[in-house]
Amino acid sequence: MRELKIRKPALPHDQQPIVLAGMNARALREQRFGWALVFPSVFIILALILYPVVYNIYLSFFEFKLTGDNIFVGLRNYLGVITDSEFHLAVRATLVYVVFSTVGTTLLGLGVALVMNKKFPLRSFVRSLILLPYVAPVISVVFSWQFIFDPVNGIFMDVFHNKLGLFAERFSLIGSPDTAIWVAILFGIWKNFPFTYLMILSRLQAIDETLYEAAEVDGASGWQKFKSITLPEVYFVVSALILLRVIWNFNKFEEVYLLTSNVKVLSVYTYLKAFTGTMDLGQGSTLAVLQFVILIGFILFYVKKVLKW
Amino acid sequence: MKRGTVCFIALLLILTSAANVFAQGQQAVETRPTGPVTIEFWTTETQSDRMATIQVLIDTFSALNPGITVNLVPVDENDLVTQAQTAYAAKSLPAIFEAPAETAVSFGTQGIVDVATTTRLIEKIGKDRFYAGPLKVLETTGKGDYYAIPYHGWIQGIWYRADWFEKAGLNPPTTWEDILKAAKYFYRPELNQYGILVGTLPEAYTEQCFTPIAMSNGAALFDANKKLVFNSPEMREAVEFYAELAKYNPPGPQTWRARDYYLQGKMAMFFYSTYIMDDLALQEAAMGSLTGDNFKDLIGTDFDPDLVGKTRVASIVTNTSSAGYGTVVSLGLFDQGDPAKTAAAQKFLEYLYTPNAYVTFLHMAPGGMNPMLKEIATNARFQNDPMGLFKRYGTEKMAEIIDGLENIETFSIVGGNRIEAASEITAKQIIPQMLYKITQENVSVTNAMAWAETEMKKLVK
Repeated sequence: MRELKIRKPALPHDQQPIVLAGMNARALREQRFGWALVFPSVFIILALILYPVVYNIYLSFFEFKLTGDNIFVGLRNYLGVITDSEFHLAVRATLVYVVFSTVGTTLLGLGVALVMNKKFPLRSFVRSLILLPYVAPVISVVFSWQFIFDPVNGIFMDVFHNKLGLFAERFSLIGSPDTAIWVAILFGIWKNFPFTYLMILSRLQAIDETLYEAAEVDGASGWQKFKSITLPEVYFVVSALILLRVIWNFNKFEEVYLLTSNVKVLSVYTYLKAFTGTMDLGQGSTLAVLQFVILIGFILFYVKKVLKW
Repeated sequence: MKRGTVCFIALLLILTSAANVFAQGQQAVETRPTGPVTIEFWTTETQSDRMATIQVLIDTFSALNPGITVNLVPVDENDLVTQAQTAYAAKSLPAIFEAPAETAVSFGTQGIVDVATTTRLIEKIGKDRFYAGPLKVLETTGKGDYYAIPYHGWIQGIWYRADWFEKAGLNPPTTWEDILKAAKYFYRPELNQYGILVGTLPEAYTEQCFTPIAMSNGAALFDANKKLVFNSPEMREAVEFYAELAKYNPPGPQTWRARDYYLQGKMAMFFYSTYIMDDLALQEAAMGSLTGDNFKDLIGTDFDPDLVGKTRVASIVTNTSSAGYGTVVSLGLFDQGDPAKTAAAQKFLEYLYTPNAYVTFLHMAPGGMNPMLKEIATNARFQNDPMGLFKRYGTEKMAEIIDGLENIETFSIVGGNRIEAASEITAKQIIPQMLYKITQENVSVTNAMAWAETEMKKLVK
């Protein structure tokens, strides 16, 4: 400690006490070499991720001008957004979208994984077939869906209105603002459940068979085996998948916007606000910051309470 | 477009441009950039066949001007403002853009357009060679300067099934009363048949349909003193009438793509530009529209070769007054801050106004793309279009369409004066957003108009 006290004033601030603890020149070189190795990645992360995030937060306090003369407006953008009824609608639409699409994706993924874990003929073929929606390009499946639901020429109306007579009149399921969100949710579930299924299936295959054998010896029913063995075994995988799905769906833009264009979840609303109509990049940035804050709040809560990390 | 046709055009251009080489060579001595220059050209002609034709023009230009490379970038008309905004922020605006006049004026008022070079270029091409009406639309308030150069233009009208109208004993859809009556009459959703197509999505097409209806009721955005007078009883009537018409649309929010329902015999009337002429008349073009890049939502249907004979157009809407509608599409120069790039862009634009290049460009969509130079309208090669539309519709009918461009009416010209703020309002698509709220989200006319007025005031302040 005495040595520390003596040397401290002579050292530049950025060379921390590690050196002071008696580090030799070689260790110092190695440390520098280490920094040189990680520098490219750190630089890329700072330049491509941190800088836009910080700039976005900075912009949210300004009225953005195309000419570059931004005007500082303090919290006015935040007040404007929070008191805007369209923002409240966007939050509500986002919650509905995230909750239903996450629950749907997870349940369907879990169910399909359980079925696919059983042995049956052509199982590997069916397993890979299920992955198709997930690997198909968004834009091509979006166009297929739009065609299916086209009110005049689509097959959906042809079957349910013309052939079966379930609907009294033709309507645009994707176009109508009331029904579009449900189509978007259905699309999200259909497109993304294979990922959930794949993750859960890989976990299911790692469960020790002897656990089930022991349970059978004890006379456990199918449901009891599922509840007491399968569920606890897949709990953390499913919880992690839910967390990822919530994050992904909360920020989901391309699927929702390309398919419907009128379901204003937060990401779509932010885009519309920032880049269309009377383009307001200041308020757009504010929305992005709020979206980020809401999401971080949820992640912290979830990680602490559900994942118990 | 077939590869053979493209090659043929290329060959033709190279051969026929030989005469211009000498003259161009002389000009090149004056403005030739010191080293190789690369410029970008944003075009709104996003269909693949049109891009191929423009690329042929660029290749020909490059052969004549080896130091200049022109990169063609397709930008959807509805994304132009957004793209320009982001490109400006990233300092990567293209040298040349193709844009509807209202959008070009909007760029101009934001100060990102090279007005001086544009005006010089118009003088060089010859101000008197242009139709006066389209030039007026692009003039600055100070007069004498221009935001962009008119290049081509189209007229809009209500295209309708004349055979259905005759059978039903209905008048052609020229007055508000007749339009509504016919829309109601032909709206038979139980037979999967619809009365009319008016735009209801928040897109440019919606405003294009709405403008003649508003103007035919004497409604305006601004008065002669540049005061915002949007929220007037006349405008309200027009909005209410439009919302009423939209009830006889095919289900859901609609845009121009739904014109295919007409080609399939499922609709009686639709607002559309003269671009539809080739689709109506030509099997190849119609098949392309039904299955190609234009309309991914629908599969094709059998082409009705008699449809052109059964279709007529009402180009004027009448209520308390009469109004027509059309759009001038312009070529403009974004401020580059680099004389070499500006010189190269200027050279390319001059080339595009040479007769052969110009006619080749316009022939991409005969009827849809009409010339802005008077002499081109009477040019023999122009009148001999490869699709044979002039022959099919008659030179007289085509001349009538081109003449209509002289009297284009928009919200942004009031009493002969151009009002930039009106172009801003059009470019920001406030009116289409308002109409979407009313027709699709069931927002009341009063509330939607109040919302639109507030948004407009943000731009006017």
